[in-house]
Amino acid sequence: MSAASPQASQPPPLRRHRDGAVFGGVCAGLGRRLGLDPIVLRVVFIAMTAAGGLGAVLYALLWAALPAEGEARAARMRVPRVPGGDSWSVAAGMGMLVLALLLLFRQWGLWVGDGLVWPVVLAAAGGGVIWRQSARAADPAPAREAAARPGGGSALGRAALGVALVVGAALLFLYFNDALRPARDVLLPAVVVLVAGTLILAPWWIRLVRGLADERAERIRSQERAELAAHLHDSVLQTLALMQRRVDDPREVAALARRQERELRAWLNGGRALGERGTLAAALELAAAEVEDDHGVAVDVVTVGDAPLSEEAEALVAAAREAMVNAAKFGDGAVSVYAGVDEHEVEVFVRDRGPGFELEAVPADRRGVRESIVGRMQRHGGTAQVHSVAGEGTEVELRMRRA
Amino acid sequence: MSGRPFDLASLVAGIALSVLGVILLLDQVDAIELSFGYLVPALLAVVGSILLAAGLSGPR
Repeated sequence: MSAASPQASQPPPLRRHRDGAVFGGVCAGLGRRLGLDPIVLRVVFIAMTAAGGLGAVLYALLWAALPAEGEARAARMRVPRVPGGDSWSVAAGMGMLVLALLLLFRQWGLWVGDGLVWPVVLAAAGGGVIWRQSARAADPAPAREAAARPGGGSALGRAALGVALVVGAALLFLYFNDALRPARDVLLPAVVVLVAGTLILAPWWIRLVRGLADERAERIRSQERAELAAHLHDSVLQTLALMQRRVDDPREVAALARRQERELRAWLNGGRALGERGTLAAALELAAAEVEDDHGVAVDVVTVGDAPLSEEAEALVAAAREAMVNAAKFGDGAVSVYAGVDEHEVEVFVRDRGPGFELEAVPADRRGVRESIVGRMQRHGGTAQVHSVAGEGTEVELRMRRA
Repeated sequence: MSGRPFDLASLVAGIALSVLGVILLLDQVDAIELSFGYLVPALLAVVGSILLAAGLSGPR
């Protein structure tokens, strides 16, 4: 018989121990905790099992209740949930408790009769499901979340369940009160009349529903046309009128045309106004538009992917803007900006076709590249590299890891 | 005591199963008479309370 380790100041926590386990590690874990040889415990469990089966039951309970070595808690004690989320667990739990209470009342004789109680219970359950479903239908966001949950079921399914419960309650009530056959004699003519009426009126009803749907679609189309016309008037027409007045200043005309082109592209690609900075791509486009306006040089921006505008992304945009300014001032012609965003990293390339330069030849007191680009990126955990070849232009490569 | 988060569902499950076990034990020693009409509500109450506690304790 092994003794507990004399060095341990506290006994080890009670866990199922995989090392030395024969079945589930219960005896190994108990032995470690109590300082007993697991073989002794196994003999005890076997004897208890032979004497009446209690040993097996106790072993099974301990196997379920004790977490294995390394686990925070017993996975097998995870309480079963009804598929579909917590609300259904609560509803199922409440339903079972109510059912248990009703059966107790029935057992004690406090009972008005099966013919009344069970139909009322079923009708209440069905009514509750229908009521909850109609409340959900009024707010589509929770309905979409519920439908997306595994086992959540569809709205139609839940409504059908509610209807089935209520109809079942009605049939049960009629059955218990021996009114099912007379009810059938009354319902059958009503159903026949209803089917005949449906067949007669169906063509007009279908035509009416289709007409309403067509009218709604036409109304939506005319609203969209009006929105488009208003946007074009406010933007493109105004810009064209301005360009006609500034025809003597080609640079101003080109700037107006570039600005309008950017605004239209932003609107076509997502309905976003050019002035909004909410994302990295939008901030880069805005920075490019500002550089264009200030220096009169075309800056073409291409972005693949997008990301929220975090503090690091702001620094990246500021560094890219400085690179665009340098390219506009010292480059020759248009400036190209490419930004690629994936889940791990953001990379931005700013390229011009100018004469190029040597970074080491830039005086130390000129902070444009060293501080505003390279230093800024380094301070925020990114990198900046300047690739410049004399006569072939300059490319500034900016990289930033995403959080 | 380890800093484990409090788990209502497991606590209710343990208590409910313990109570059921006591009821069955009392029936076994003839302290009470547990007929089928009482056993079924007891089982329903145990399962229902566990489901209710699981639902109220929220997602993990």
